Amino acid sequence: MASTFASPTGLLSLGRATLQWFVGWWQIAHLGAVILVLALSPSSYDRGTRFVLAREAYQATAPILPWFTVLSSLISLVIIRIVVVTALSYGLSRYALDMVVRVLVLELIPLTAALFVALRCAIPNAAEIAALRDSGAFEALRQQGVNPLQREVLPRMVAGMFSTLMLAAVSCVVALLLAYVSVHGFTGAAFVSYTRSVGHVFSPAVVVIFTLKTFFFSLAVALIPIATVVYEARSDRPRRTSTELQGLVRLFSAILLIEVASLVGNYY
Amino acid sequence: MLLILLALLVGASALYVMYARGVFEDTNELFLLAEDSEGVFVGMDMTFSGFPIGRVHRVELVKGGGVRIQVDVPQKDWPLLRTSSVFTLTRGLVGGSNLRAFTGVPDDPPLPDGTEFKVLIGDATAEIPRLVADARELMKNLTALTAADSPIATSLANLQSITEQLKTRGALGVLLGDEANAKKLISALDRTNALLAKVDGMAAKADVQVFGKQGVMPEAREAMVQVNGALNEARASLKKVDAILTDAQAIANNAKVATNDLDQLRAEVDTSLRKVEGMIDQLNRRWPFSRQQEIKLP
Repeated sequence: MASTFASPTGLLSLGRATLQWFVGWWQIAHLGAVILVLALSPSSYDRGTRFVLAREAYQATAPILPWFTVLSSLISLVIIRIVVVTALSYGLSRYALDMVVRVLVLELIPLTAALFVALRCAIPNAAEIAALRDSGAFEALRQQGVNPLQREVLPRMVAGMFSTLMLAAVSCVVALLLAYVSVHGFTGAAFVSYTRSVGHVFSPAVVVIFTLKTFFFSLAVALIPIATVVYEARSDRPRRTSTELQGLVRLFSAILLIEVASLVGNYY
Repeated sequence: MLLILLALLVGASALYVMYARGVFEDTNELFLLAEDSEGVFVGMDMTFSGFPIGRVHRVELVKGGGVRIQVDVPQKDWPLLRTSSVFTLTRGLVGGSNLRAFTGVPDDPPLPDGTEFKVLIGDATAEIPRLVADARELMKNLTALTAADSPIATSLANLQSITEQLKTRGALGVLLGDEANAKKLISALDRTNALLAKVDGMAAKADVQVFGKQGVMPEAREAMVQVNGALNEARASLKKVDAILTDAQAIANNAKVATNDLDQLRAEVDTSLRKVEGMIDQLNRRWPFSRQQEIKLP
């Protein structure tokens, strides 16, 4: 590090890396804004785009939804048992349900859903976009008078967001049901007290933070890998690292930032 | 299809959370006044017999430094609260504060909406300083008791010296302070024993004289039998006297009645005599039977 700062070349490369970092994030923000404008424009939803959108949303969600639900149910069950048994042994069983709902529904499940969708859907989608661009499909679409962002990128991004929200919603509902059954068993007698505990956790501020966090998770997962690929392909600079890895790092950074912000909002 | 499922899930979850937060419940307001709002937060439950019946809606500072806690109680639980209800805010060593309601007399008048109550505060941690002060006082006393020059230590030393003396001089020597006195006590005890033996003999003789065949008691018993017979005879005599007195009382009653009759008879005789006298006078006036008619002039 000392040598890096000592030599002018080191300083130059550091400045260049910092500039590249800022430019990268700016490009992501720019593409996000463009995609947002396209997503809110009614002209984007013509017959061809609607078909592609429905196909991409289905392909991004349906194959992974059962597996993710089963996986998250198993993990939820283990965590619920650990929390409930530990709370019971310390005589704090009245706080067990609150803790289960907070740990699972508010924190772990949205994060896991975002990471799962990123690995199974968003990064492969980014690779597909890169391949389409490299193969000249984007140029062909432009020559036909079709905006490739509108036809190819927008459906994949919306599909990524939809998949993240769907996985998180299903898993949260399943986790709530599992928590009820684990603590009270198969009876409806404790529904009122359970509902009251859930109501305690979901105060208006927590609901707003939870909704925003899940939305920004889905946005980051859908946007960052694709944006990285789109702009990396346009630039003709030599690549320092592989594009996918760079996108992954940016994605994890964004997810970490969102999670920290939500934790600060919830608990401070 | 997936879009509809997502919309359903999100909509149902939102409705469930709103229901859990009590958005669809009709509530009455209850205001609790406290000196300190520590541990009280919006959304906190108020329990009744362990069941949550209300939820803190607002906590605000009022003029004068007090705290006003607004509790929303669902209308279905409102009848549990009465005018004599008591509200407490307790803070445990572990966990949060607890807001509780108690109703001693369920037949008291129901609570009007928007009633203000003073909440009683019980703080477990507030007891700690007093407990520490008491413990310190106790330790001080214990230290004073167990010190080298304490009364207990002195008493123990004295007890030890007494034990030593017990080994050599015996218990009586320790108690009386001198062996000569101990010997005197022993001789006094011997003489007492001899005296008791004599008293025992005297008691045996007295027993023979009192309870023997020729003793006092049999004679006394015979005398008592005789006295009993005499008393029976006297009782019979008294009964006869009683009968005589009854007869005399009857005679006296008859004499009293006869006396009344004599008075009446006398009155009647007097009346008859007056009538006869009157008739004779009339006869004399009409038919002068008398031979000598005298006319007396004044």
